[in-house]
Amino acid sequence: MLGYLLLVILIASALGYLFNYYSARRLTASGEKLHSLAGFHGVYAICLTGLPAFIFVLLWLLFQESVIEAIVAGGLSEAELAGMDEGQKSLLMAEIRSAAQGNVFGEPKPFMMAAAESLNNLRTTAWMALSVCVVAILGLGMFLARRKISAAFRARQAVEKVVSGFMIFCALVAIVTTLGIILSLVYESLRFFDRVPISEFLFGLNWEPQIPIREDQVAASGAFGWLPVLLGTLVITVVALVVAVPIGIFSAIYLNEFASPTLRAVAKPLLELLAGVPTVVYGFFAILVVAPALRSAGASLGIDIAPNTALAAGGVMGIMLIPFISSFTDDALNAVPRSLRDGSLALGATRGETVMKVMFPAAIPGISGGILLAVSRAIGETMIVVMAAGLIAKMTVNPLDSVTTVTVQIVTLLIGDTEFDNPKTLAAFALGLMLFIVTLMLNVLALTIVRKYREAYD
Amino acid sequence: MTDIPNLPNIDWKDPALAVRLKRRNGKDNWLCWAGLGALGAACLTLVILLASLLVSGLPAFTQTHVTLDFEILAEKVPADDPGKGKFRTIVRDAIYAHFPDITNRREKRALAGMISNGAQYELRDYVIDNPDLIGSTVSLRVPVSDPYDQLAKGLIDPQTPEENRRLKDAEIANFDALADKGLISKPLNLALIANADSRFPELAGLSGALWGSFYALLVCFLISFPVGIAAGIYLEEFAPKNRFTDLIEVNINNLAAVPSVVFGLLALVAFIGWFGLPRSAPLLGGMTLSLMTLPTIIIATRIAVQAVPPSIRDAALGLGASRHQVVTGHVLPLAIPGILTGTIIGLARALGETAPLLLIGMNAFITQAPDSVMDPATALPTQIFIWADSPERGFVSRTSAAICVLLAFLIVMNGLAIYLRKRFERHW
Amino acid sequence: MDQITIREPVVQTQPVKATARGVDVYYADNHAIKNVDIDILDKTVTAFIGPSGCGKSTFLRCLNRMNDTIDICRVTGDILLDGEDIYHRSVDPALLRARVGMVFQKPNPFPKSVYDNVAYGPRIHGLAANKAELDNIVEASLRGASLWEEAKDRLDQPGTGLSGGQQQRLCIARAIATAPEVLLMDEPCSALDPIATARIEELIDELRQNFAIVIVTHSMQQAARVSQKTAFFHLGDMVEYGETTAMFTNPEDKRTQDYITGRFG
Repeated sequence: MLGYLLLVILIASALGYLFNYYSARRLTASGEKLHSLAGFHGVYAICLTGLPAFIFVLLWLLFQESVIEAIVAGGLSEAELAGMDEGQKSLLMAEIRSAAQGNVFGEPKPFMMAAAESLNNLRTTAWMALSVCVVAILGLGMFLARRKISAAFRARQAVEKVVSGFMIFCALVAIVTTLGIILSLVYESLRFFDRVPISEFLFGLNWEPQIPIREDQVAASGAFGWLPVLLGTLVITVVALVVAVPIGIFSAIYLNEFASPTLRAVAKPLLELLAGVPTVVYGFFAILVVAPALRSAGASLGIDIAPNTALAAGGVMGIMLIPFISSFTDDALNAVPRSLRDGSLALGATRGETVMKVMFPAAIPGISGGILLAVSRAIGETMIVVMAAGLIAKMTVNPLDSVTTVTVQIVTLLIGDTEFDNPKTLAAFALGLMLFIVTLMLNVLALTIVRKYREAYD
Repeated sequence: MTDIPNLPNIDWKDPALAVRLKRRNGKDNWLCWAGLGALGAACLTLVILLASLLVSGLPAFTQTHVTLDFEILAEKVPADDPGKGKFRTIVRDAIYAHFPDITNRREKRALAGMISNGAQYELRDYVIDNPDLIGSTVSLRVPVSDPYDQLAKGLIDPQTPEENRRLKDAEIANFDALADKGLISKPLNLALIANADSRFPELAGLSGALWGSFYALLVCFLISFPVGIAAGIYLEEFAPKNRFTDLIEVNINNLAAVPSVVFGLLALVAFIGWFGLPRSAPLLGGMTLSLMTLPTIIIATRIAVQAVPPSIRDAALGLGASRHQVVTGHVLPLAIPGILTGTIIGLARALGETAPLLLIGMNAFITQAPDSVMDPATALPTQIFIWADSPERGFVSRTSAAICVLLAFLIVMNGLAIYLRKRFERHW
Repeated sequence: MDQITIREPVVQTQPVKATARGVDVYYADNHAIKNVDIDILDKTVTAFIGPSGCGKSTFLRCLNRMNDTIDICRVTGDILLDGEDIYHRSVDPALLRARVGMVFQKPNPFPKSVYDNVAYGPRIHGLAANKAELDNIVEASLRGASLWEEAKDRLDQPGTGLSGGQQQRLCIARAIATAPEVLLMDEPCSALDPIATARIEELIDELRQNFAIVIVTHSMQQAARVSQKTAFFHLGDMVEYGETTAMFTNPEDKRTQDYITGRFG
């Protein structure tokens, strides 16, 4: 159905192009001097036919389902919905939807069958309406484009205006995405804070996000204090940095100052390879190799290490961050003017003294910017911790213990759940909002430091 | 004329200086070795990572099969509708035939467990394709179930105490008996590529995930490539320098650093919640990934466009071309290799991206490869996640094998990007 | 200003400080210095002049083995300091460079305080036993570079905050803080304004009392103003070497004459 519609749009565009192109050519043949090349007249026709029709179809499809469902849901009477909460209502809609596709389970109530039927009818009507609209748009567009053809018509300028508009729209996508992130996170978080007071979320020391199965269950309401989750995130981040920062910085110093060009040519792509490994692979590496190795090492030393210790997740995350830190350090060291290095060497300093006493202090702003970005990465990193860290939030700073992180909680709270109607799923969005704010601040801070530092030496 | 008083009078031959110098050079060496050690540690982890994945993944590239004779009796398989045949019994009878001594029901059930659950379906499909076989005996190679596969690959050690292993002594003896008859073989595991997901490790494959990833990347490319180029060119060639374009720039840089899981949340609320797109569909995955790929492509476009020397622009403008004509006619063709390189790198990153796909349900258990961008599907990285989470032992090696496949794709894509960069590298 | 003022010729009584015999320098395949022989006198300013790219800076950097820091650079021939081969295996470049100080084209103070800049050399070489001694060295060096009066109140402020001319004098102070025997200056005034240049030139003349000074310059006026001996380099060859006065009034080689009279350069 959609395919045919797109085909129609394509054919109409081609026709519009050809009509306008040849009309323009005829004008030239009759001796008139065109302002724009005939090709531009053709493209102008496409801008008036295919383009608006295509945009119209996209917009229509974007909203068709939600509008239809709203109509169907609105058609259900109060009596039928009596006593249903949000979740049951959406379950009902899902049943109506599947009934409309012909999958009927058990004995549906007659009102549901009626709703399903009206859903199907509405869909058919919608498609018809869409087709009619598209054909009307195409026809109108062709008509308007034909009328515009004249020697003086500035088809090129008109086409370029449309192209410019498209480009501006594309540039706006970045802003729209950011706005979308903020809006969706804030919207769902506000719904969460309706149910759980914001002070409890921000300062609470307990995180037990379950939903009650029975009304009288113990701890029925769940607890939503994010501090233990935050603490777990920080523990894993610290472990990651303890691994990544020294290794990253020392290998960068070595590559920058001591390594032969051949070694540099080999080692740098290897580090980049380390950076290109997907995080899900690191996660599997953590549970396949690192966690068992740590456990057996701990056992031989007589230390009890939890199976999903923060050490494993953090350590592997550290490995992931090594190339990140190392490339930032390398850039920062390279940005230190060569004259400083020469100046130190000319005073009789050894290479090591030159690096540690002159280059490194001068590069510290750039390096610290890189470390801040690495912190932001570590906090936002998801797959490694989802696979290798724990699920239970604990107020502990012991890296041998199992801790959980913000991203782990987001994923586990949302996997398999489609309806955002209870504190449990909504909590994920509150965590997401905090995550977004924290990483955004870190990124802005880091980028500012790095930029300031670059300016200082330019 | 000032003389310089107080400057130390230094005897550079003083042995104390030589001692001190030796200590300084020692420190230098120490730093050098520390650096080398750090670099070595980083490279060593890479080697361990790859080696452990290869070692654990290699067994999954073969699958233990057993060759059995199946009697396709006409009373068990109706000729007019072979799909309705009782293939389960046929498969069981075929294995029982090798062990006439076993009559005990429990032992028989254990014996039947040697054959993969998928064998009956393979046999069924084979008979449906060749209906004239009904009534005759067919010799067919079918996969064995996971524990026996592990046994054949040496992953289950018969020396461990019986209560600690998944196969009892009798079961191992049965398997060895078949092996002695030369019926056991270990061909290349084509199912790994051809099959979709399954609960049974010996039947599980990547085809669903591969197609899902392909469709998602296709959508991602179709959206982010034109939009990224248009945005990049606009910002570089047309945009006025004002606070608004500054805002766009800051936005793009920040988007590149937003945690991927946040994009999953956005997709969940906006794409599923507000626009009603179907969950688990590659269309949805591709749209989400395109938001993350977009900054990469925009930045690559800008760098490639910047690299086109202004002289070319000036020459074309001087001939009376409009700025649009200069861009489409001259700047874009020269910049396209750089843009393509950036796009491939962005797509490679999108191929490995997991977290946002988990949130939009591309981690569902789906036993069929998708036929379009609207069908529910998994993707390669989410399939890895599902398998890594599965309790069956056989999935461990399959996870590693899937990772090897993923890494192979990434290496090919990055290699292509490097080749493009080298091939079209231009110095002005 | 343009008029070349010529000093009274110095009677050659100073001993030889450094000697080069048959020095060749290669950058990869590029033969940058060809068979140079020269004797540098103690307590004398020797100027290296010549058109850009002639190798004068390259040769200067051989004298403290700064060329070692460039991977592709190779030096052959003998360079002796007080009769001792500086390219011998037993000579550590670190100690050599403390004895042969160097000042660069662009002022390059470290992003540290004025005090720490000057104290850098003495500290790494362990030349001061205690803080008081170090203070003395810093003060003496800054006085020697005639920067003390301007800098004594801002010793703890960053050296990068000084003016260009002050920065260059700070670099000179830094270089003389290790009490070197030879001071190499690679176009030390090319990044400075005329007033700062005049001060540095004055300073060079004062410093001559204590060190052998070798200065690379592209300004013949400067060479004539500050130096007693001049070497003229052209395309990697040292064409002519002699008393500055003699060379500027009566050059022996045609190429020197062309250069001095402005035919090329």
